[in-house]
Amino acid sequence: MAEAILTEQIEQTVEGLGPLELVVGIPSYNNVSTIGQVVKAAQAGLASYFGNRKALIVNPDADSNDGTPEAVEGARTEGNALLRVKYLLEPVHRLTTPYHGLPGKGSAFRTLFQIVEATQARALAVVEADLSSVTPEWFKSLLDPILSLDFDYVAPYYQRHKYDGTMTNSIVYPLLRGLYGRRVRQPIGGEFGISGRLASHFLKDQMWNSDVARFGIDIWMTTTAIADNFKVCQSHLGAKVHEAEEQGLDLSDVLVQVVGSLFSLMETHDTAWRNVLGSLPVPLLGSPFGITPEPASINLQRALASFQQGVRDLLPVYEQVFSPKQLKILQSCAAQAPDQFSLDDELWVSLIYDLALAYHRRVMDREHLLKSLAPLYLGWVASFVRQTDTAPDALAERRIERLCLVYEQLKPYLISQWPLASREKR
Amino acid sequence: MEGIWSRVVWEPLRQLGEQAVASFSSLLGMLILVLLGLVVGWLAKQIVYGVLRALRFDRLCDRIGVGMVVERTGLARSCSNLAGEIVRGLIVLTALLAGLNALGTPLTRNLVERTFLFLPHLLAAVLILIVGVLVSRFLGRSVLIAAVNENLPSARLLAGLTRFFVMVVTVVAALDELGISRTTIIVTFAITFGGLVTAAAIAFGLGARDLAKDLLLSQFRPKAPVDAKDTMHHL
Repeated sequence: MAEAILTEQIEQTVEGLGPLELVVGIPSYNNVSTIGQVVKAAQAGLASYFGNRKALIVNPDADSNDGTPEAVEGARTEGNALLRVKYLLEPVHRLTTPYHGLPGKGSAFRTLFQIVEATQARALAVVEADLSSVTPEWFKSLLDPILSLDFDYVAPYYQRHKYDGTMTNSIVYPLLRGLYGRRVRQPIGGEFGISGRLASHFLKDQMWNSDVARFGIDIWMTTTAIADNFKVCQSHLGAKVHEAEEQGLDLSDVLVQVVGSLFSLMETHDTAWRNVLGSLPVPLLGSPFGITPEPASINLQRALASFQQGVRDLLPVYEQVFSPKQLKILQSCAAQAPDQFSLDDELWVSLIYDLALAYHRRVMDREHLLKSLAPLYLGWVASFVRQTDTAPDALAERRIERLCLVYEQLKPYLISQWPLASREKR
Repeated sequence: MEGIWSRVVWEPLRQLGEQAVASFSSLLGMLILVLLGLVVGWLAKQIVYGVLRALRFDRLCDRIGVGMVVERTGLARSCSNLAGEIVRGLIVLTALLAGLNALGTPLTRNLVERTFLFLPHLLAAVLILIVGVLVSRFLGRSVLIAAVNENLPSARLLAGLTRFFVMVVTVVAALDELGISRTTIIVTFAITFGGLVTAAAIAFGLGARDLAKDLLLSQFRPKAPVDAKDTMHHL
């Protein structure tokens, strides 16, 4: 039985509503400029596509002080059930800024899952409150696969520019795909749809007070859904435009939160991924729609300079993680002329796998380990930009596909080293 | 005549014999205690070494950075080995002190008393040094990584200075614990460090005036606008 976190008042309100079919969650924190539009889109989506189904829109708010609650109330229309709840924030949520900008996102999701369980809803769709590109069609895309096709987890599939989501492209997507064998292209999209039974399954997990719940709840949901064999699909949502993303967080902090969560989940699910080789496609539903994504630009010179400095100055750190051969190749990469610069896929993947092993072995403070990845990651970005500068998005996507295959090809190395990680060295 | 002979010759000889026997037994006792200490110490070292290896103590030490320090300084083959040696040393030292105490002379008693009073300070000083090494390594690495990620050109220098200052504070604290005059140490450090800085400043200013100017300008002059702004999102 999941721990109860709903207040008595919310419980009474939810009970008063009776059984529901659909719940839409819009967690917020100081999103006064956009949340009204998101709530209106949700109401329109429910009315247009699910008019005959009993639904509830829930806005879990992290104690916004910019007028967000008033904006939600202002967007409320007749005939739609809308519930505003304040979710519990621990002191740590106020001290640390997560990459997604929503303090206590795990608590917000937990509140939503409990409401889904309490109302016996069949499906839940969650969208971020700081979006300016959300349309009523998004709710159809997120909820329909659950209601009509019996999927449990609907991951978003956005149209993105080739340089948008470089960490997702270089680490998150290929690593998750290589580990768990399912090709979910946007595993940490922010929007998703889940079935009532998956919400109940999530609530039974013991991780709700961990760092994964605080910083990696999106990765955790995707990983858990795949690792625990729930039916997963992807749904086209068009382009995603945020009001602000990553909240001005330092790159190294983003790496700590995102890659740290991935590595932590590798430990949790090692029995699930160790027997997986290769990968299978995940159904992609719908078709691209909406606005075309804005082009994203990267300062190649700066990224390359960061890589070169990292290889030069962080050598004492890298010596504890990588082999002499890897270090030698890194140094020769750093010495390349900018117009010749290239970081091999094999090298990049072996670096990520060795970092995961070093994380597991705790060869040093984990935060140091993850932060030391920043210059190498910028090196990958520089290499990717140089290789795909003039290429169309589709060709850049094929480049990512090739990288994913290298992750899969080198996985036996990770598997062979992983058991050794828990053995005594001498 | 016989009484005089007995009082003047035999009695002192008997007393000398008794003292010789007493001294010999004290020496023998000391020898036995020391030998016992050596045997028990060796056994204890083997047990501690074996238990710590079984508990993967070396791996823990490697993780927190002590293992590398032990290996680099050549103190022992491994942390488990070092711990075993420390236990053996303490047992042998205790046996030696007990043996000296068994001699029962005022000098040895005084020595034993002073040693036992000094031992806690010595242990505390060693502990301070160990913690200091760990903190200096941790902070040095934190500064290094943060400085590199901020693209500061002197990242390694900053990290080195951080480690140096933490170690200076550590050594001063350890020596203070040992009762060595703190004021003297601080004054010595200030004079040496101040002298070094002044000498370096003069040498730098006179010998590399242009370089100094360029370096300061590169550090403090507002940077030229970046040619292209990153608009990508990482996730």
